[in-house]
Formats: sequence, structure tokens, C-alpha cells
Amino acid sequence: MGVVTERYPYEPVEVPEGFRGKPVIDPERCVGCGACANACPPNALTVEDDLEAGVRRVKLFLGRCIFCGRCQDVCPVEAVKLTKEFELSAMSAEDLYQVVELRLAKCLVCGRAFTTVRLALETARRLPEDQRRLALICPECRERMSSHLISYARW
Amino acid sequence: MGRNCVKLFRRSLWVFHVNSGGCNGCDIELLNVFAPYQDTERFGVKLVGSPRHADAIALTGPITREALPRVVRAFQAVPDPKVVIAIGSCACGGGIWYDSHAVVGGVGKFYELLRERYGVEPPLTVYVPGCPPKPEAIIHGICVLRGVVKQKQVASYYTEEKAPEIPKELLGVPSFEVRRVRGV
Repeated sequence: MGVVTERYPYEPVEVPEGFRGKPVIDPERCVGCGACANACPPNALTVEDDLEAGVRRVKLFLGRCIFCGRCQDVCPVEAVKLTKEFELSAMSAEDLYQVVELRLAKCLVCGRAFTTVRLALETARRLPEDQRRLALICPECRERMSSHLISYARW
Repeated sequence: MGRNCVKLFRRSLWVFHVNSGGCNGCDIELLNVFAPYQDTERFGVKLVGSPRHADAIALTGPITREALPRVVRAFQAVPDPKVVIAIGSCACGGGIWYDSHAVVGGVGKFYELLRERYGVEPPLTVYVPGCPPKPEAIIHGICVLRGVVKQKQVASYYTEEKAPEIPKELLGVPSFEVRRVRGV
């Protein structure tokens, strides 16, 4: 009859097509928008601002991840990708973290740190040319600006 | 890293399976592990019926409040030294119910509770994330614990050293507008 038992872990196993394994954030691409943290059902992905250090931390805790792949679906810059990696066992919970730290940008008007520099640049890139100058002004200040300036962004 | 249970258990590792209120997904994967196709009895890992016979606890589920006293009893019944195999997202970090009032929320919080209420130091634990983890992932966890293979997963920390430069045309707001918005 032969042997049915797999040789794993001495031989690697193939994972099926479309297998959702370990999510990985590409730190070079991530802009820190927090869309993934918004979509993550178990909040394995969290985004927090550290105003003292002037950074935004995107944290991924694999120990809570349910591998649903929503982060991959919502990421606007395709930074989060689910790999086929499944050998995630770790002897301590600290090994299950991935942290991406990005610099915060300040509002030009009130000086509040409200976005990352990368996100502001990405927003500016996507805005129509005449509205790009609003990318570095926080929503609250933008609200208070005169309608003329918001509509035409001419100064 | 580098820690495993080779020194604790040089021979077979007998496992007692505790489901602490999980959805049964991990339990079914765990049963696969002991079936002929994956067959962890190759490594001397065997499922036993009583915690008093066991060396390790295979814990699945987020430890619901109802299950908590039973899990504590199972922990007390397994003789020291023991190891814990936390299987699945629920056992590792609480999973999708991590902030629910009805669950303790994974072994991390459970160990805090053990330390507070019973003064027990947490045993050696291997975390096997996955929802549910593949049977091979569980085997990998057991092999990491037994020192057969090396741990692959490591924490990574990326810091943006210098923010990208902001082009000049994005900077600068008319000063009269700044004054008006600030209300000065």
C-alpha cells in the first residue's frame, strides 16, 4: 500500500492556490493611512500616533490575526500582502510583532501633527492639481478656511 | 529565540488537549495532526486522556469566562515541568474576541491572571498563530518546541529615518488666512 504519512518537517509542503498566510507590511510602500487597521476585524493591525517622538506606528500582531486578507484588499498603496508563509510558530509573543514607524507631518496652519509625511504626499499626488496645496492642512483648519480658498486653493 | 523544551523533556511529549471555548476549527486541525497523514507520533507526541498523564497542554480557544476555572484546573493537574502549545489566534492573543467581556483573551492575559491569583509563573509556551493553523503549522510549532527545526518567525521593526522631502508648492498658506483661522 505504500506510506501515506507526510515527511514534513523534513520535506517542505506545498500550500494550495490562494492560500492566505502571514500578512507582511512592505515598510517602503506603507504610507500609514490606517485603512488596514480600520478594516482589521480582530484589530491585529493597529495604528497609533506618538506625538512626543513625532512618529506614527503601524503595528501588526500576528498572534491575533485571522488571515482574512481584508488589509490586503483595502490597502491603497498595496503595501500589505498576504504571503504563503504558514510556519509562524514562536517561542515568545514578542516575535509575532511587525512594527512600521513613519514620520508625522504637521498642519501648516495650527501645527498639529495629523498625518504622516508619506500620506500627505500620496494625498497630494492623488488630488487634482489645483487642490494639492490643501494636503498639508488638517481637516479642522480646512473647515475653518474661507470657502473661496477651499474651492479654488488659490493664494 | 533559542529556547525549547529539549532540556525539559528528552523523550516523548504527551499532550493533553484543552478546548477553552473555541469554535472547534483548531481542534479539528489538531486531530489531523495525530491522524496517520501528518502523524506526530513520529516525534513521540501523543494525545492522552488525562491531564495527569500529560507533559504539555494543547490549548485552543480564547478562554471564555465559563471555561476559565476548568482551564485552571487542567493547568494545576498537569505536573510540573509543563509546556503549553497555544494553537490558533484565539489562544495566542484572543483572536477576534480579544476585547470581549466574555473571554479572558488568550494565554497572555491568562498568564497574568495565573500570576495574580495563584502566584504561578507561566510555563514555557509555543505560539502557533493561524485561524485555524494548518496541521503542518502545528507540527512546525511542536518541532520548534522540540528543537527539531529552527524558529522562522522573528519580530521586525522598521523606522523611517528621514521623512521624504515635501515639495515647495505644497508649503505656505497666506498669513492673513492663518491669522483668521487661528482667530488671532
